[in-house]
This record gives sequence, structure tokens and C-alpha cells, in this order.
Amino acid sequence: MSQARGLQNFISDLRNAKSKEDESKRVSKELANIRSKFTASGSLSSYQKKKYVWKLVYAFMLGYDVDFGHAEVVSLVGSAKYSEKQVGYVAMSLLLKAGDSMMNMIVNSIRNDLVGSYDDAATSLALTSIANVSGIELMQALHVEVQRVLVSPNATPAVRKKAALCLLRLIRQLPDSIASADFAPHISNLLQDRHIGVLTSTMSLLIGLTSKHEQEYETMIPYAIHILSTLVLKKSVSPDYLYYRTPSPWLQIKLLRFLQYYPELMASGQAYVATLKQCLARILNDTDVSDSINKSNADHAVLFEAISTIVVFGDSGDEDLQLAAMRLLGKFISVREPNIRYLGLMTMSRLAVLHNNTNKEQIKTFQSVVVHSLKDADISVRRRALDLLFVMCDQTNAESIVDELITYLVAADAGIREQMVLKIAVLAEKFATSKKWYVDTILKLISISGDQVSDSIWHRVIVIVTNNSDDDLQQYVATTMFDVCSSKNAHVKAVAVGSYVLGEFGFLIAEEAGKSGEVQFQVLHQHWPLIDANTQGIMLTAFAKMYNLYEEIRPIIDPIFAKLKTSVDVELQQRSNEYRILGSLGPEIMEDILREMPAFDTQKVSTLEIALDQEHSDTHDVNVFKKKDPNSPASKRGSKTAQQEPEPEILVQAEPEPEPDLLGGFDDPPPAPIGGFEDPPLSKQAVTVGDPAAVASSFAKLLSTPQGVLFQNEYVQVGVKQEFRGSQGRIQLFAGNMGAESFTNFKLDMPQVPYLRTAVQDEMGATGAGCTLAPKQQARVMIMAEAIAPYCEAPGLTVTFETSTTTHSYPLKLPIVPTSFTEPVTVDKAAFMGRWGQLAAKESQEIITVSRTVDPAMMQQVAALLTGLKYGRCQEVDSPTTCSGCGTMKTGAKDGQGNPISVGCLVRIEANGDKFRVTARTLHPVVSQGVKETFCKVLKAL
Amino acid sequence: MCAFIEWKDKKIVYKRYASLFFVACVNSDDNELITLEKIHLFVEILDRYFGNVCELDIIFNFHRAYHILDELMIGGYLQDTSKKEVLKSCSTMDDMMDDEKEIGAGGNGSRRNSSKK
Repeated sequence: MSQARGLQNFISDLRNAKSKEDESKRVSKELANIRSKFTASGSLSSYQKKKYVWKLVYAFMLGYDVDFGHAEVVSLVGSAKYSEKQVGYVAMSLLLKAGDSMMNMIVNSIRNDLVGSYDDAATSLALTSIANVSGIELMQALHVEVQRVLVSPNATPAVRKKAALCLLRLIRQLPDSIASADFAPHISNLLQDRHIGVLTSTMSLLIGLTSKHEQEYETMIPYAIHILSTLVLKKSVSPDYLYYRTPSPWLQIKLLRFLQYYPELMASGQAYVATLKQCLARILNDTDVSDSINKSNADHAVLFEAISTIVVFGDSGDEDLQLAAMRLLGKFISVREPNIRYLGLMTMSRLAVLHNNTNKEQIKTFQSVVVHSLKDADISVRRRALDLLFVMCDQTNAESIVDELITYLVAADAGIREQMVLKIAVLAEKFATSKKWYVDTILKLISISGDQVSDSIWHRVIVIVTNNSDDDLQQYVATTMFDVCSSKNAHVKAVAVGSYVLGEFGFLIAEEAGKSGEVQFQVLHQHWPLIDANTQGIMLTAFAKMYNLYEEIRPIIDPIFAKLKTSVDVELQQRSNEYRILGSLGPEIMEDILREMPAFDTQKVSTLEIALDQEHSDTHDVNVFKKKDPNSPASKRGSKTAQQEPEPEILVQAEPEPEPDLLGGFDDPPPAPIGGFEDPPLSKQAVTVGDPAAVASSFAKLLSTPQGVLFQNEYVQVGVKQEFRGSQGRIQLFAGNMGAESFTNFKLDMPQVPYLRTAVQDEMGATGAGCTLAPKQQARVMIMAEAIAPYCEAPGLTVTFETSTTTHSYPLKLPIVPTSFTEPVTVDKAAFMGRWGQLAAKESQEIITVSRTVDPAMMQQVAALLTGLKYGRCQEVDSPTTCSGCGTMKTGAKDGQGNPISVGCLVRIEANGDKFRVTARTLHPVVSQGVKETFCKVLKAL
Repeated sequence: MCAFIEWKDKKIVYKRYASLFFVACVNSDDNELITLEKIHLFVEILDRYFGNVCELDIIFNFHRAYHILDELMIGGYLQDTSKKEVLKSCSTMDDMMDDEKEIGAGGNGSRRNSSKK
């Protein structure tokens, strides 16, 4: 292939650029040049076209915005010449994103190459590009063709292997596009192919299919074991497929991975069980360290996959194999090679999680080795060691493991500390031999690493202490906290616990020498100047309780309350005033109100474990380990037999009754169009395309109002009227010609997005091929949309048209955001705070500055916005400068039982000077971000 | 050091060749060691194709590097693990790119034959 000279020079120039500015100047110049070449009349030669497209691709790879040339790419893809087609396809995979409006134009060319052509080369290009771009619109348009190519008896291996992987991408996007029961015979045909490349690709596809439908593909097991035995036992494979003398390790791994989906396999009594056992034994026994790092890696990769398989089979598998695997893992966790050590630790944790009883005793013998790895130089190894210690912990070794972890915590670096603190707290609670030991452990955590101790950890201590009134725990903790707080250097979190505990249970030790109510008060009060307002609030309540109990210190506490009457902190101000007046209401009322707290209503699932669960998340192929792990959140949510109480219903609401179908019945007459041109009822605020702020502000207004102008300038006005119910919405667009001359090619382009299912009613064809719009004429489009997945980005809308002189293109966003599909939820303070705490890890937060200082009137507007965005206000938790609310985002997606999935959302807006801090916490990080962004946009537009 | 880094809910697997880093992002349950070898396989193929490959080969022939990658993997999955097979498809493609006149008839034929085993 001859190399375009111009391209070489361009790349050289950029490499020689002295500075970033230099480079960007050169790129701008080139892009301008290419743009003029593309728009100039007269056709470019094939050579030029290819050269310019490569240059565009190169600039794009360097991170420059390339927003033109797409038409040229499309024309190259449609070319009859292979050399042009190939350039077109590669450029398309790189330049065009899923959802690009050009996709529609390209679909036909791709379809022709896929099925119309007898040319393997073109078919291959088409398959590769479909997989690489993997836009939902491409997939929807072409999945039938891809399937046909894959199962066609005439397809060559080169095409087949590409088609298999293309189909894998496709089922990831559209999981229901293949009827599994009918498709299994095709897979078995493919598995009889002799070509290793076809087998490798087919196995990837099979794993993807099996991860969703195990039963339908159970019949493939004999084929897989047959291929495995050919590779492992007979080692018969064409020399091309030997990788450092190992017969295609990739294929071996895929075969083993597939078998892991059938954990009861070994107990099935089938003839192939013996063969499989032989294969596994051979892999376990024959793998050795080799001089070649590549051979060693490849062989160990297979070995670890074999061990994982044995781990999955567990007790239904072969005992000898299990022992051998255990022996190997014990060896691996102490070798020098960090990669192997890492994998050894990881695999051992899986083993511990899956088979709690049988292997745990053996694993426990490695405790000292694992503790040693906790001090490894490599952070990845340290994390795995921590994880393994966590899962191998039980009643018998909890104290020693927790002690080890705490010792190490002193030296641990920031990257791992937070996780360690959380894990220690969970272990200490779960396997506590005594409650006193548990409290001591948490106090140690606070003193060593107080900053990493989240509020939920120390809140848990309070709950446990408060709820254990029978033994002497409360007295013990009061004494301990008294001692801890006596030190001037106590951590602020220790002071918080101390304040609460002494306020509640201080009276239990008040008779002891040197611990009188007054001394207790002094011990706490010495920290006052150094602690934050929250902790001061807790301490203030403790003072109020002491005020009630010990008459002698009332004269000391009174001035404190009096002084805080004018505190800048609203919470402190309110508390001090209330407590001060409480004293004057008479002793009975005061005693009643300041009585000890009743026992907490304990949740069965500790909030800490929820926080831990959130570290897990799902991958594409539902992993076997997650499927089986009884502790994993996936199985907890999915199965009815989970021993834990279901999560609070707001987090994932599965509703038995479907929402009234807004998309189906459409009986009411369509609402009157807005933005009539004779008598425009809408404000004629001037918006030019050059003013993104105005576009953003119009967009923001539409987020909380049902109708308005999305965009307007001297040529065109786009109005929106929208209505949402549950997961569905009806959005009407009114696009009017405001100018004096007709628009041609008037188009409203809405790229499809995977998270919305849409149906469009459009009489004029503005969303399709385009239409002509006379002056004062209006194009109306009705979009019916249903949210089918959590998301954050608002979908795009591009308005394009041509007048006699110019081409206009206005990229806009449709105001369809997560809050659109939200319904308000009213909760009380306890529920709100509880959920708020649980969702801390999925928080999205931003601080924005507004044009003026926030005053009470503005806060009222904020409260109105909250309601406008369909959140239920939770006023009980709010101070005058905050505003909190709760809502649930409805989606049309279904859970395992076929009920629609909803995402619970909490939001809190805090004002400070001319700033707002917006915090959104939802069950889904993406939604958190979307909700936060929506609120920020709306607040900025205030 | 360990060649695997845990990142969000994924893993980063990397390998360094002189001044070049090859980085793969995989699911946390994917086989890490074989991913390392996948990288190495790609590098070996680049090496055979360019003949002692260096950074400049990849920069100036970025489009060829893309073809090779596309012939080796689709959407991150290996489609073939034989160096010979991958290089054969690449060279067939190069022939077709050079020889534009023959595209009509010759291109079809040569491609067919090359991919049959």
C-alpha cells in the first residue's frame, strides 16, 4: 500500500511541533484546508479523499474535535473500490459515535456489504465496523443479517469468526434479539468447525449467551469437553496455534470458563466427567515455571482458570483435585512473582466465599502468609490480601485478624485505609466475642484513623450501646469514653461518641470518684473550641441532659446556651434557644423531654455491610462467582430466600402493578400548539445561537416547567410541551419558521439513545428525510419516550435547515432528564436520614455560585423548584438554608420477576453565601450525576 | 510490580515495551495473565508485520496498526490466535489496497482463497 505523502508530512509536522499551541495551530490550518477541499465544487480524487480522511482521523486521535467530513466517510464506505471502502470503514469506526445522525445514511451501504456482496473482504469490513461502533441503531437494523451470515453454510472461516464476535456485541446491546433455544443447534455446528479461530470466537459468543441462559446451552458441554481434551490431553493442534508450545491457551481458558456456568457438572454422572477430570488433573500437575515469561504466563493463566473451575465445582467436584488446587494456591500466595501472588490471593478469597465450611479451615492455616502480603510493596497485592483476610475471618480468628489489621492500619497508606477501616468495623461487629471488645476496637480505629471512620461506623456504636441495657456495657463505655475524652488530643469523632455516651449514660458513673457530673462536663467542654458545628450540636444536647441531671452545673451551662443564642450556625442557635427555654418550663417537662433515648429500631442489615456491598458491581457476563456467592448483593436482591431483610423499598422498588400505559392509549385530544405565530403567547426573549448561556437557560427552564421555548432566534423557534407519567413521557416539539423565506431540508434529528425507548409521530417528515417549511409554517413532532435504563445525559436534538444563502445547524438538548421520570416520595426524617446514610457511596456533589447572596425568598424559590422537579420535600430535616427532597425515578426496565425497576433518589441543596452545594444520592451513580446536574442547571438559571 | 491495577470496577492490565506502554482495561473477573499474553501476541504480530517494530512505525502507520488490531480482535475479543493467520489476512488486504485495478475480479478471488484453510 502506498503511503500518502501528505499524511506523512502532516504527522511529521505535528511531531516536530515545539509546543501545544504550535501543534494546535498546525491542526487548525489543516482542518480548515480539508474543510475547504471538501466543500469546494469539483470532485476529489480517490487518493485525495483517502488522504484527507486519514488526516482527520489522526487529528481526532490526538483529541481534536472533528465535526465535519462525515459525509466523505459515508461516501468512502459506499465506494465500489476496496481501498476506499476500507479507509471509510476504519474512519467510521473511529469518528462516528453510536447515535450519530450519519448512521442512518450508512446503514444501507453496510447492509449491502454484509449480505448483498459476494466479497468476503467487504463482508469482513462491515462485520468489524458494526462490532466496533456497536450503536444501538446499527444493531437494530442489522442483527438479522449478522445472524444470517454467521450460520450461512457458505461462509468462510474468516467471515464466520468475525460474525460470531459481532453477534456477541449485538446480544450485549439487545439481549433478546436471539431466541436461545433455536440458536443452540447453530452453535453446536460452529463448535464442530476445525478452525481454531472460529472456535475461539464461537466460545466467546457462547459464554456471552450462556451467562444469560444456562439451560439452553447445556447441550454444548460435551463439545466443549471434547475440544478441551484435544488441546490438553492430545495436544493436537496445528503448529500455527501453538503459543510458546502451548496449544491455544486462549481457547483452553474460554472452554474452562464456559464449564464454570455448570457447577453441578461433576456430579452429573455423565461419561464426559472422567475426561474433564483428566484434563483438570493434567493442567494442575503439568504446569511448571518456565524460562520464558510468556510461556509461564500463558500456562499459569490456564492453570488459574482450571483452579477457578475447581473452586466453582466445590464439594460436588473431585476431592483430589480440590486438595491439589488448595496446595497450589498455598504455594502461589508466597511466591516472589507479584502477578502470581496477586492471583493466588484473589482465587483463595473466591474459594473462601463459595465454600464456607470445608475449605475455610485449610485457608486459615495460611493466615500469617496473608498478613505478610498485607505489607507488600504493591497496592494491588495489598488489596487482595485485605480482602482475603476479610473473608477468612470468623469467630475463632476474628480477634487476631482484627488486631493484625489494626496494627497494619497505623502504617497503611491512604489508598487502602478507608476500605480497611470499613472492613475492620464490619468484622468487629460481626464476629465480636464481646461487645466491650467491639467498642474498644472501634475506638482504636477512631484514634488511629479517625478521618476515615465514616459517620455510619460510630453511629453503629451508639446504636449497639444504647440497645444493650442489660449488662454493664453502658457503664463500661461511659468510663472508657470519659477516659478517652479526658485527653486533650482526642479525635473529634471520639468526642462525638463521648458527648453522646456521657450525655446518655454519664449518670451511671457519676458516683465514682473524680467522675462527677461537673467533671464530665469539663472533660467534654475542653474540646468545644476545636470541634466542628455538628459535633458541637451533639455536645450541646449532652449539656442539656447534664443540665437536667446535675443541678450544680446549671450556672455553668446557662451562659453557654445564652452565648449561642446568636451563633452563626443556625442549628446551634436553635438548639441553644430551645434548651434554654426548656429549663424555664418546669422540671417535669424538662425531665420528660430529656429522658434517656429509647432503644433504636435496628435494621437487620447493618448500614456498614450495605456500604461494603456497594463496592461490588455487575459486569457484562454475569460472573459465576457473583451468581453463586450467597453474600453478594446481586443474589441478595434477586432471590427470595435471602436471609436478610429486603432493602428499604425506596432503593429498588419493584411494583407489582404496571403503570397505566401512556404510550398505548392516547384518547385525549392533543393539546393546542404553543408558540402560534400570529399571537405568540411566549416571551420573545432573543436567543442567538452564539449565546450558549441563553440556550442553557432555556433548557434549564424547561426542566421544571411543562412548556416553553427551547430555542429561538430570528429564523427559527422551537417550542416544547411535555407531560410525564411514571416511566413514560409525551413530548411535543413545535418548530416554526420565523423568517421571511422558506427553509429547505428542514430536519429535526434525534439520535437514538440506548436508555430511552421512543416512538415518533411526525406528519411532515422533519425527523426523517427532511421537509420544506414555508414562512410562518410550523412543523409538529410528537415523541413518546420511555426510560428503560438509568442515565444522566439528556438526549440530543439537532435542528438543521437551509435558506438560500446559508446552512443552519443548531445542536440542542431535549429536556428529557432523569428527573422527568421522577415521582415525588414523602418520607419522614428518620427514613430520609437512614437512606441518606446508606447511599453515601453513590453521591454526586457540586458547588455552584449564583448571581446573588441567597436569601429566604430565594430559598422559597429553591423549594418550589424541588417540587417542580417532582421531588417530595422532606422539611423535617431542613434548616432555613437547606432544602431536601426525595423522589423515585421510574423506568420501564424489568427486574428478574418482571416488575418495573425504579431508582430511589435523594437530593439536598445547601445554601451558603452566594453558593449552593447540591448533593444527590441515588441507588445508581449515573442517576446521582444526572440528578445533580439537573438541579445545578436549574439553580444556575434562578 | 504487579502488572494488574484495580480501577473502579475494572482492572487495568499493562505491559511495557521499551518506552511504549500497552494497556488493556478488562472486567474484574477476566483472566489477567492471558490478557498480558494477548498484549504480547499483538506486539509480536506488529513486530513481524513491520519487521522489528518501533514507536515510529505505529505512529506513521497508525491506520495499518488499526487494521492489524481489527484482524486480531473484535470488540476486545480475540478472533484468531494464530500469528500466521492474522498476518496473512493483513497482507492480503495490503495487496488489495495497492492493486486497485484488480479490485473488481482479482480482489474477490484472492481474498477467498487466502482465508480458506
